[in-house]
Amino acid sequence: MIVNLASSFLTLAAILFCLGLFGALTKRNAVIVLLSIELMLNAVNLNLIAFSKYGIAPSLTGQLFSLFTITVAAAEAAIGVAILIALFRKRGTSDVTDMNQLKR
Amino acid sequence: MPTLTGEFIAFFIFAFLVIGGAVFMLSFTKVVHTVVSVAFTFLSLGGLYVLLQAEFIAFVQILIYTGAVSILMIFGIMLTKHNEDNAAQQWTIHETLTAIGCAALFGILFYAIQNVSLVPMTAFDPGQDNVAALGELIFTERVLPFELASVLLTVAFIGAILLARREEEEQ
Amino acid sequence: MDSTFVQYAWLIPVFPLLSFLVLTALGRGFRAAGPIVGIAAAAVSFVLALLVFLERLDGTKDDYTWNDWNWIEAGGFTLSMGFEITNLNALMLVIVTLVSALVNLYSAGYMSGDERKTTFFAYVSLFTFSMLGLVISSNILMLYIFWELVGLCSFLLIGFWYHKPEAKAAAKKAFIVTRIGDVGLLIGILMLFWLMPGHHLDFTMIGNAVAAGDISESAATWIALLIFVGAVGKSGQFPLHVWLPDAMEGPTPISALIHAATMVAAGVYLVARTYPIFMASPAALDTVAYIGAFTAIFAAVIAIAQNDIKRVLAYSTVSQLGYMMLALGLGTELAWAAAIFHLFTHAFFKALLFLGAGSVIHATDEQDVRKLGGLFGSMKITAVTFAIGALALSGLFPLAGFWSKDAILTQALHHGNVILFAVGVIAAFFTALYMTRLYVMVFLGKRNKGRKEAHESPWVMTLPLMILAVLSVAAGFASMPGEPWLAGWLRGVTLTEHADWLVIVLSNAAAIAGIAVGYVLFRKRSETEAGESEPAGLYRVLQNKFYIDELYQAVIAAPYRALGNVLYWFDNYVVSGAVRLVSAVFVGIGRAGVRLQNGQLQTYGLMILFGCILFIVAIAGRRFF
Repeated sequence: MIVNLASSFLTLAAILFCLGLFGALTKRNAVIVLLSIELMLNAVNLNLIAFSKYGIAPSLTGQLFSLFTITVAAAEAAIGVAILIALFRKRGTSDVTDMNQLKR
Repeated sequence: MPTLTGEFIAFFIFAFLVIGGAVFMLSFTKVVHTVVSVAFTFLSLGGLYVLLQAEFIAFVQILIYTGAVSILMIFGIMLTKHNEDNAAQQWTIHETLTAIGCAALFGILFYAIQNVSLVPMTAFDPGQDNVAALGELIFTERVLPFELASVLLTVAFIGAILLARREEEEQ
Repeated sequence: MDSTFVQYAWLIPVFPLLSFLVLTALGRGFRAAGPIVGIAAAAVSFVLALLVFLERLDGTKDDYTWNDWNWIEAGGFTLSMGFEITNLNALMLVIVTLVSALVNLYSAGYMSGDERKTTFFAYVSLFTFSMLGLVISSNILMLYIFWELVGLCSFLLIGFWYHKPEAKAAAKKAFIVTRIGDVGLLIGILMLFWLMPGHHLDFTMIGNAVAAGDISESAATWIALLIFVGAVGKSGQFPLHVWLPDAMEGPTPISALIHAATMVAAGVYLVARTYPIFMASPAALDTVAYIGAFTAIFAAVIAIAQNDIKRVLAYSTVSQLGYMMLALGLGTELAWAAAIFHLFTHAFFKALLFLGAGSVIHATDEQDVRKLGGLFGSMKITAVTFAIGALALSGLFPLAGFWSKDAILTQALHHGNVILFAVGVIAAFFTALYMTRLYVMVFLGKRNKGRKEAHESPWVMTLPLMILAVLSVAAGFASMPGEPWLAGWLRGVTLTEHADWLVIVLSNAAAIAGIAVGYVLFRKRSETEAGESEPAGLYRVLQNKFYIDELYQAVIAAPYRALGNVLYWFDNYVVSGAVRLVSAVFVGIGRAGVRLQNGQLQTYGLMILFGCILFIVAIAGRRFF
């Protein structure tokens, strides 16, 4: 009997997700925050594909879903960098802690 | 105790690389180094997808993430001239609390994973040709999300150009 | 029976009360009104008291009681207030009103320069009202109310010159020390209330209950001792005597009124009124007698070494009150009457002595006897009346003090034991000794250089002196050994007694010996200059009043203060700390909330993460709780 690697994949995805979350919430440089968000999205993808193979009803739907997720993630990364560049031009800094106008 | 198969060894190597890349991403001080290590992570993830019999996705992952997104980030770094080094920060209370929160979340997820029994009802059938099978699925069953995704891409593309355009100088 | 005046006896305290109210309402203005209103009210009260007294003088009248005002009605129990006039009361009324009237007149001269004159007369009137109310109370609870009121007036008047820190301290000390006694009295009253059938507290009911045996001997002992504690406090017996000498910080007229003639006699009066309880308990009687005797000799010995005129007289008062307690402790009708008789005569000559001392102080601004001297020439009236008072106090035939002291000593010899008698005689010797010392150092000898020239005091001050001097001579004839008229009248029965020549001779001999020794010992000293070499040994101990004050300070006051500090610390840090902790918690929560609103997206993200975890745990984790 082969014990499948399902839980290992899922655990790995969980670790990746938490690392990405830590980076997103902690890092001061905006680029690194964006990178951390990408990391989180990658963890989600891994989860989806693992479920597509090892889930209750294995099918290709998981892989398809992850395809779309990659698409959205790429678009969001592009927009994020664009915003970052615009902000940098306005403020001269890319430090996340300087963007605190929600305070008012 | 799972039997030691090649799959298992491969998984472990790739997993190790993935986590290593992520951890180094978080701990490097120079920004460029962080981008390089995260690119490494993306590569390893591609390898994992191959293990999961999702070859097309693996290919797309490497193409888009390691290729496009990493380069995009480097461009972002270049265009925002910040100090090259993130000085190693002292652990503030914010970081401590975040670490605790992430650890708690991981704990919850781990517990959930351990308590679920994943017994597939049917066997997994990826098809002879992964690409063809996926393509068939997209254009027959899921054509609507496909169209929406293309709209999204268009919007994002236009938006990014608009946002990053240099403002008209007041003359 | 014609008892026309006695029905209106309740008016006697009302006039001083009205005077108090009027003077308080007038305030600082109308300074001339103070003495006039005060003297007028006291005079009217005196006239009325005299009428009541004279009406009862033939001894045929019963006690008059009016008890119809129901103050408290609780369940089946009613406490009514009213007044009662017995022969004892009538005598006390005359004493109090007479001395009060004379003191009011005297104060018109003594306090003439004072800014708060009106307040002074208001307080004196309030005091007179309280004392008169105390005297005519019909039940013991009402007496307690007036007892406390009298204590309050004493506090107000001792601390009258409140700019002086010694006066403030003395007022507080007087109030607190008498309070200790008052606690005992209150517990005694409560015990009486509990044990008396029907919970009646009238004096007549108490007397009936004890006679009928409703109160057991052990209960009566306890009640009597507790009441005596109250008397010890108010009358300045050992060990609660410490407040009386310090009370001399107050103006001299009130030293005369309160701390010589009336308030301190309230303790004696209380014991006299509740005498049936004491009679039921030989143990209590013995306690009273021995404490009285000890106080008499203790205070007399201290008085020899004091250098302030008023303190000598204060200790003298304590000593004479000891005599009265000694008499009361003997347990016979004649002894009881002797105590009252001594109270009667003592009121006059002690008031005289105090007013005379006040005259000296008013003329020379000096209270230290070592700095006085040679006043006989310049203040004749004061000197002569003071001499009469001193001789009366010493108990020399035929002045008033002799008759009353002789009555006490006779009873002590016949019905007490020899020790009490011997203590009484020795104390009489010391009394004469210190009075002679005082007189010699103040009035005789050469005038001390550097002291201002003294003139005789104005007539408002010397007239009361003369009146009191006459009374000090005449009052003694109310009861002679062998013909105890006063005793019989007070008690309402006919009493006989044999004159005891041994006692008469001994007491006179003690007095004369004291005068002689005092003159010889202290005459030389009055001719030297004021500075004395540091007194040594026994004299120093006496001068420091046997260090009793220091003892109390170390044993009682200091630990209490320490306890107070501990409790203050506890209250401040633990109790208040808990309150502050509550507020600090909320402030802390608020501040934490402020920190959350810092505009940082990452902080908000963290909060969202925590919220998510909480949510998951709350919903999915329900299987564990």
